[in-house]
Amino acid sequence: MPEEADPLIRILPSALAETQGDGPFVAIVRSREELCRWLSNPLPGLRWLQVEGMLGDQEAWTEAAHSDSNIPLDVVLSNPASEFSHLYRLVDACAVHAIRVTMPAAPGLTKAIRLAAALRLPVRVLPGQPSAAALSELHDALQFYLHEPMVDAPVEFFHSVLASICDWDAGSLWTILEEDPDAFRHYDADGRPKLPRTSDPDQSEITAAGFAENHLSHLIAQGAECATCPWQRPCSGYFKWPDPAYSCEGVKLLFFNIQTAANEIRQDLASVATADTGILSEPREAAR
Amino acid sequence: MSERVFSVILLPTSDCNVACEYCFEHKEPLRLSLVLVPLLTRRLLDHIENEHIEECEIYWQGGEVMIMGPAWFEKAGEIMDRAAAERGRRFVHYLQTNLIGYSPAWNGVIRGMFNGSLGTSMDYPNIHRKLFNGSAAAYTELWSRKLHEAKAAGIALGVIAVLHKGSLEVGPERFYRYFTEELGLSDFQVNTPFPGGPAKEVEGGFQLDSSELAEFMVGLFDIWMAEGYSSGVSVGPFNALIDHFTGEQARLPCIWKENCSNQFISVDAKGSVAQCDCWVTSYPEYFFGNMFRDPNLTGMLKTSRARRDFIERPKRLMEDEDCLSCRYLSICHGGCPVRTYSALGTMMAKDPYCEVYKAVFACAEAHAGEILRARAAPIISLRERHKAVGSCVVA
Repeated sequence: MPEEADPLIRILPSALAETQGDGPFVAIVRSREELCRWLSNPLPGLRWLQVEGMLGDQEAWTEAAHSDSNIPLDVVLSNPASEFSHLYRLVDACAVHAIRVTMPAAPGLTKAIRLAAALRLPVRVLPGQPSAAALSELHDALQFYLHEPMVDAPVEFFHSVLASICDWDAGSLWTILEEDPDAFRHYDADGRPKLPRTSDPDQSEITAAGFAENHLSHLIAQGAECATCPWQRPCSGYFKWPDPAYSCEGVKLLFFNIQTAANEIRQDLASVATADTGILSEPREAAR
Repeated sequence: MSERVFSVILLPTSDCNVACEYCFEHKEPLRLSLVLVPLLTRRLLDHIENEHIEECEIYWQGGEVMIMGPAWFEKAGEIMDRAAAERGRRFVHYLQTNLIGYSPAWNGVIRGMFNGSLGTSMDYPNIHRKLFNGSAAAYTELWSRKLHEAKAAGIALGVIAVLHKGSLEVGPERFYRYFTEELGLSDFQVNTPFPGGPAKEVEGGFQLDSSELAEFMVGLFDIWMAEGYSSGVSVGPFNALIDHFTGEQARLPCIWKENCSNQFISVDAKGSVAQCDCWVTSYPEYFFGNMFRDPNLTGMLKTSRARRDFIERPKRLMEDEDCLSCRYLSICHGGCPVRTYSALGTMMAKDPYCEVYKAVFACAEAHAGEILRARAAPIISLRERHKAVGSCVVA
């Protein structure tokens, strides 16, 4: 969601966010009252609102559509299977706010992505360490993203991994998914920093710089499959967290499919480049 | 200020000066009094202010609007535009008329209030549009004369044609030539018909066979692409679909909006508010409220139970119908609620013309592909020539 590199964005519950100064932060809102309060009075450092558990609240979205502020919104679906059709509630608010939807890799993911794409909403999928069922959804969703011509808004992480593999440096999954503590630091209700997807973190791991790099180095030192993984750069051990024993067999197939699409794009670009070279050099060629 | 457009289909009368067989509107000799125009205007301006919208489009239609007379429009337009300017807002007016009451006396107001253009309607062949004491042929003759008079006065005209069984029988080519060659029009739109009126009194005769209608629409699309597209003829909704599939900004018709409930309302001469003219003239059970009784239009729209069905409809379609797996979901969203309601007695189903729309979308997609390939052709052509030169050199 951020458009430029920031030193550190704090992501914290609404009540804590209200005490923030001018530094960049994201407020997590979980009620209509919190949403309306931030929309009517956004603090200077507020980058966007992370809206949780409110997709079904029609009144909240009516309020958002009528707000004076155009603060971007990241709308989180916790259960895509039961919530996907509520995405229609965002239509009015989209005219006022940049809206992204975030969802876990879970049953109903493909439905939610299909509808989000039809409404031209960018999507962030948080894969975590996907189960077999979640992997199946991810594969379907990836095929839809890669090959459905009607898709024109990005679906993360597919979009940035594809860019990364195509040599447009989009960073690793940690930054793409806004889970790198060096760039996006998450806080719990008590104001303690926390690591993604784990409830009992070693605080020294969080506050020390280079969490993602240290994690990957540690995995390699422990003999994890990351050492020889062809997708080590875009992944950086993302799928080995928090359980380093997680088998990456299924996610490697995802990367392989993205790699295949990237190769096709490269071939297309090369053929266009050849055509351009031909056009540029044609007067000389013709004169020969 | 939001970039959203809010539109009002405003019916200053439900009275009419002709007797079309397929009209489903409930006609009453009631007219909007000029005394009520300031109140109506204030309510609309309050609403668009609440919504942070700068501009409101007013689509004047009836009944038959020209029954109101040009002097009435001049005064109403003046009241509305002055009030809007005082509040930093703007109304943009459009006129939809059957043209039967047109005379040169209208030219001033059409140029001043309606930017020199108007919309009218005619079918081909005309079987169902009739004068009170005349045949369809007499209607066609009178309408054509008025059309030519308006054109001669420099008025830009767009025509809506409603398809019926007779249109399908004559075929798309004769249909296209009637509008472009016989009438000399460069802008017309085809609408699919629907029975209208109370849901239990369906007039099945106006429900066309989907496969025959799809074949006609695709045939018309092909003729327009071959003859009209590159020579400046605009045929709706085909032109908007071509814009969409070639990556241009497209304004698709209301039947294919994500949710028409947030785009417009309709208000009749009594102040009744409903989703569109079809609802306000036919289905009182779906009125949202009354503009003259309820002081707060924004509040009325927020709390109306009838309107909730419109808001909920696309969500229900995603859960109950097969729309989610359709490749054209992003440009259809289940189609038109009133077409569905008039055919099925419920709006919680997809549009009965689903298969027709899919055929038209596929046709548009294929034609747009050709356009994009043609745009790339100079590059491809140069590449081919480059290859040819290269092989000659090698040889």
